[in-house]
Amino acid sequence: MRDAPLYLRPRADPPLASLLENAPFLHSLVDALGSPLNVLLPDVVARNAERFLAVYRRHHLAGRVYFAHKANRSSALVRRLAACDPAAVGIDVASLEELRHALGCGFTGDRVMATGPKDPEFLWLAATVGATVNLDSVAELDQLAGLVRQYGSARTHVLVRLSGFESDAGPGGAGTRVLSRRSRFGTPVAEADELWAALERHADSVELVGLAYHLDTTGLEEKGRALERCVLLMDECRARGLAPRAVDIGGGFGVGYVEDAGEWERWTTALSEAVLGIRPPLTWGGHGYGLRNEAGTVRGTAALYPAHRTTAGPGYLDELLSRPAPVLGRAPATLLLEHLHDLYIEPGRALVDQCGLSLARVLEVRPMGDDPGRYLVRLGMNAGDVSLEEHGVLVDPVLLPRGGPQHEATDGRADHGADDSVDDSAHDSADGGPVGVHLVGNLCLEGDLITRRLVFLPRLPQVGDLLAFVNTAGYVMDFHAHHAQRQPVARTVAVTEDGGTWRWCPDENYWPITHPQGVPS
Amino acid sequence: MRYDSITEAIGNTPLVRIDPSVHGLRNIDLFAKLEMLNPFGSVKDRPAWHMARPHLEDAAGGDGTVVELSSGNTAKALALLAGMHGLKFKSVTNRMRVPEIKELLLLLGAEIEELPGQSECLDPTDTDDPLTRFHQALSEPGSTYLHTDQYFNPRNVEAHAAGTGPEIVKDLDGRVPDWFVACVGTAGSSTGVARVLREHDGDVRVLGLVADKSDFIPGIRTIDEVHQVGLFDPATYDALAPVTSQQAIDGMVTLIRRCGLLSGPTGGAAYQGAVRHLTSVDAELDGTGRRQTAVFIVCDRAESYLSYVRQRRPELLGRPRRGHSPSSLSGDEIRAEGRAVDIDGARRWIAEGEPRPLVVDLRGPHAYAALHIEGSVNIVDELFEELVRPGLPFSKRTPVLLACPVGEKSLRYAALLSRMGHPDVRSLAGGIVAWRDAGAPLVRE
Repeated sequence: MRDAPLYLRPRADPPLASLLENAPFLHSLVDALGSPLNVLLPDVVARNAERFLAVYRRHHLAGRVYFAHKANRSSALVRRLAACDPAAVGIDVASLEELRHALGCGFTGDRVMATGPKDPEFLWLAATVGATVNLDSVAELDQLAGLVRQYGSARTHVLVRLSGFESDAGPGGAGTRVLSRRSRFGTPVAEADELWAALERHADSVELVGLAYHLDTTGLEEKGRALERCVLLMDECRARGLAPRAVDIGGGFGVGYVEDAGEWERWTTALSEAVLGIRPPLTWGGHGYGLRNEAGTVRGTAALYPAHRTTAGPGYLDELLSRPAPVLGRAPATLLLEHLHDLYIEPGRALVDQCGLSLARVLEVRPMGDDPGRYLVRLGMNAGDVSLEEHGVLVDPVLLPRGGPQHEATDGRADHGADDSVDDSAHDSADGGPVGVHLVGNLCLEGDLITRRLVFLPRLPQVGDLLAFVNTAGYVMDFHAHHAQRQPVARTVAVTEDGGTWRWCPDENYWPITHPQGVPS
Repeated sequence: MRYDSITEAIGNTPLVRIDPSVHGLRNIDLFAKLEMLNPFGSVKDRPAWHMARPHLEDAAGGDGTVVELSSGNTAKALALLAGMHGLKFKSVTNRMRVPEIKELLLLLGAEIEELPGQSECLDPTDTDDPLTRFHQALSEPGSTYLHTDQYFNPRNVEAHAAGTGPEIVKDLDGRVPDWFVACVGTAGSSTGVARVLREHDGDVRVLGLVADKSDFIPGIRTIDEVHQVGLFDPATYDALAPVTSQQAIDGMVTLIRRCGLLSGPTGGAAYQGAVRHLTSVDAELDGTGRRQTAVFIVCDRAESYLSYVRQRRPELLGRPRRGHSPSSLSGDEIRAEGRAVDIDGARRWIAEGEPRPLVVDLRGPHAYAALHIEGSVNIVDELFEELVRPGLPFSKRTPVLLACPVGEKSLRYAALLSRMGHPDVRSLAGGIVAWRDAGAPLVRE
């Protein structure tokens, strides 16, 4: 008797949940457009922006939500956001092409924030269209100011990204020292004086509108400290005659991928046990995700995204804004409000939560030689098409049988001519119940595993079935997609629900006013 | 009892029988080993002293720093021991989850370093986890760190094998209890005591309690976390069972309110876990005429966990406060009784009023210092709430203009002060934000 299946079933809220129930529609899309296929729900991104803004309103805060474009290349998502309230929703672009894309999708320059590493062309276009430039360093400021002077652009709005809050002595009273991961971005707080001097030097060409930070951590404590430090530094700027009005706290609000806390807890416990050898491996080749066994003790840290989150996205922002700051003792939301500062945030993953899924056709099902209870399932996609492993995200795909769940056994085979005898024997031995499978990709490469994890599915898939990877719009869908071996890169479609009917159009053809497949009568 | 050093007072803690009418077990005598009565306040005094002693005696008066991964009682004991020997103590911890303990450690002179949270934008190939860096720093040449290493140091176990275990046997007149129940943190106490008890009598059963995985109980690890403890050996325990923070608080309240034992949540968890497990054993003993004995550890005291309790069971601490409070007013009452004045009206009132109003800015002092209405006084809302509770803090003849960031809190207080009998108190509509947006002047100190 095997253990109960260690599911990590995905969280799917409406309307994504109802899309998943419409297997015939999703099958018809893959039949027409091929596997893999990305499906996006542009209306959900607007709803998510509204949820973040509701947190602003609860705390009476003004400011903007900037979508971190790098989370997804889609046009539909960017165009849908461009149609939101211009005063409340903007876009954060991290390359020249992202900037061009945002402008082409309808964002005016004043709604754009340029971040990340910047080449001169990117800086020039940002300055020329009136975007806000989120500066990484004094050198970048010098370069921007030079371009503005040389090409006569208007005075450019800038934020300065700060870092190194950990080693910053700052005002006393916080008591303890909170360590942070080192970042390659931003100007250390310890060198702020140099930064203020440079901003004053370039006052003819740039105007400081705010201070920014982005910390790569889930820790509220670290972020709360940085936020408070920025409020204190804003005052330092004002005392010098600069007039910043916004604090930009970056992104990193998180997404809950796995619905059930119990499943996540059981699986992670089982991983420790598997690493210790108390139970059979849960992964390809006994991979420990960073955990290792040293003399019967588990060492190391699991390099896993916390896939079940009790608070994520807008809820996480609310919590960050509500917990008392260490020095001034008041909640960050109160500090921002009392100091009359605006709040900028740059959610990526959290803003496209529940905005899409990635579909792959099952191409082959084969029992594993050494363990007849387990199967290799080969998909019409590769690890680059759903970069779950790249981000340490562990979550199950949803099995969408060819003929729908009610006539799964025979229809699938009829459609595909039952041409796979291995599949037949496989199905017999799996007796229709839950089964552990290894999902492998379409590359001629040992390492092309969709996930290293042994995935449990409610029954053995058959050739022609679809697997739907849910909630892939943030970084998972196209961030790492590539053309290796000339395998097809996924097409992307935008879908909308209209009175119970799902309609679709290619991502590039979607506009917020589009009625896919014609205006409904 | 006279001692030359407080360290001599470590150990020899009482073993106290729990009244059967409290736990309801008919055939089992349940004893609490009161480790909370150690001089620094917890069971960790024993291993802290035993582990640190060789380091401290070598390094006394030097410039060394005792360092340990601890956010609780071990840190407390080590901070005191280091201080006695003229050394510094640094605690490295994932998160200080109990604020009072953080403040207590700072009072004891400890330096606290909190490790960074998990990466949000994860790079699975990054093997540079914060603990690895911590261990690298310890082993750098010239390091003056004295690492007690409580999760791996066999002296942690020895402290209990030499002290806690034999004391229990002695106090039970040389008999070994049938059951020993301990919460598993570093696994030091359970491993050390279990070893001694088994040497005396192989029939003793050992129950280890772990925290429910999604929960947090101070000093107890979850089932995953115990696997990361070098001293943890599953063979030590006949059974491992989870307890929740709610059960821990239930147990703590029972020990405090019915047994006179000022136990913290860890002791509460041990009591509740013991009674839960022993209830079925007790039923089997009915009618056999046999009696059994069980011992659990009360790890530390209650006082440091008030915020822990407040967060999870506010009703245990809460009593409504008396007096005037803005929270007593409903939204309708605030709208009906609170008067507001718009920015232009307020500016005229301040400039031309007879008499001019007292302008009270309810924002925090730092925000006030940065920008405020000229001539206003700053009474931060928390303080203002206390000021108005017993009665009006200003004369009824002085008109008052209240200002907050957006005019919400100030309207609430305007309604409250009107209800308390003040004839002319008004709220600045839209607050300081609207004042700024209207271009009205703000000054800085």
